[in-house]
Amino acid sequence: MRGSPPVRYDLAAILLHWVIGLGIAVLIVLGLAMVHLPLAIGLKFQLYQLHKSIGITVLLAVLLRVLWRLTHQPPALPQDMPAAEKTAASASHFLLYGLMLAMPLTGWAMVTVSPYDIPTVLYGVMPWPDMPVLSTLVDKKPADAITTFLHHKLGYIFIALICLHAAAALRHHFFLRDGILRRMLPFGG
Amino acid sequence: MKFFAIAALAVLLLASPANAADWIIQPAQSQLGFSGTQTGAPFKGSFAKWTGQITYDPANPAAAHVKITVDTASAATGDTQRDGALPGADWFNATAFPQAVFEATGFVAKGGNNFVADGTLTIRGIAKKLSLPFTLTIAGKKATAIGQVILPRTDYGVGQGVWTTGDYVGLNVDVTFTLVATQSGD
Repeated sequence: MRGSPPVRYDLAAILLHWVIGLGIAVLIVLGLAMVHLPLAIGLKFQLYQLHKSIGITVLLAVLLRVLWRLTHQPPALPQDMPAAEKTAASASHFLLYGLMLAMPLTGWAMVTVSPYDIPTVLYGVMPWPDMPVLSTLVDKKPADAITTFLHHKLGYIFIALICLHAAAALRHHFFLRDGILRRMLPFGG
Repeated sequence: MKFFAIAALAVLLLASPANAADWIIQPAQSQLGFSGTQTGAPFKGSFAKWTGQITYDPANPAAAHVKITVDTASAATGDTQRDGALPGADWFNATAFPQAVFEATGFVAKGGNNFVADGTLTIRGIAKKLSLPFTLTIAGKKATAIGQVILPRTDYGVGQGVWTTGDYVGLNVDVTFTLVATQSGD
């Protein structure tokens, strides 16, 4: 019983898209700043805590987004769009979903096996558990090295992919003028 | 015969007056606090659960005996994250070492109401000699001891692994106490 696809994303999808997008933008800035800038140790510590809090928040929003995607049909791509571009769009969206899950999960794993062993308290208020299984490892050093490597490298791949995603959206909007971006804008549908 | 012997012993025990040199700690008026620094910012905390036995006869300070037992899991600083970390394996390791103990025999009078208790402090199973200075004020049956000592936390293994340096959490912890006790018996 598959009806014809909708013209626009619905409000839930639009809201989740932009909340997650904003969250990820803040996470990238925080992540790069806290690791690379010569900050005072107190500020650095606070930025790490905020990065963890926003990261877990985004993870929860991403789970909702995945749930939405599994239960809804997204608007169709323009019929005159070349097949290769359609494939590229599907592939990059698939990768974006994968990284939206992989980034917070590797981050959560990193916190769990960190030699600092600092309890996660979201926004300084709500305790968040360590990741199951990993928290019971006797020797956390190898897992610490692996999760740190993954979180950092995937982060750079994610940044590149997000730039590609945004550039493609702008290309569709300003050069191809096919209304693809407008389907995800909260207003002006 | 056996019954009578036990009964007689029980009567004796119940009837024997409490030792006038025994003091009973009043938890509501007493406080065991600590303060330190985390990423340069000061914080304060206290232990909610601790008990102690004190024997002290003002006429004979050298015979005094004090034993304070602290429930290490009861440390609270008002910060969920810090309080979650404190009982952990890197810090007090409260599962393996649920209690910290200070025990001293003999108070050394230092003039006025100043005293020093030379004893042993045990945290995380590490026992070290500690000279604890305090002032002692006795009013009627109520004694108030106030003291302070700075403890290098790593002497007792508090802060393992990456925490053995003072980069994030200062190495010196300032411990303060106000101990109010009342004299038992008459």
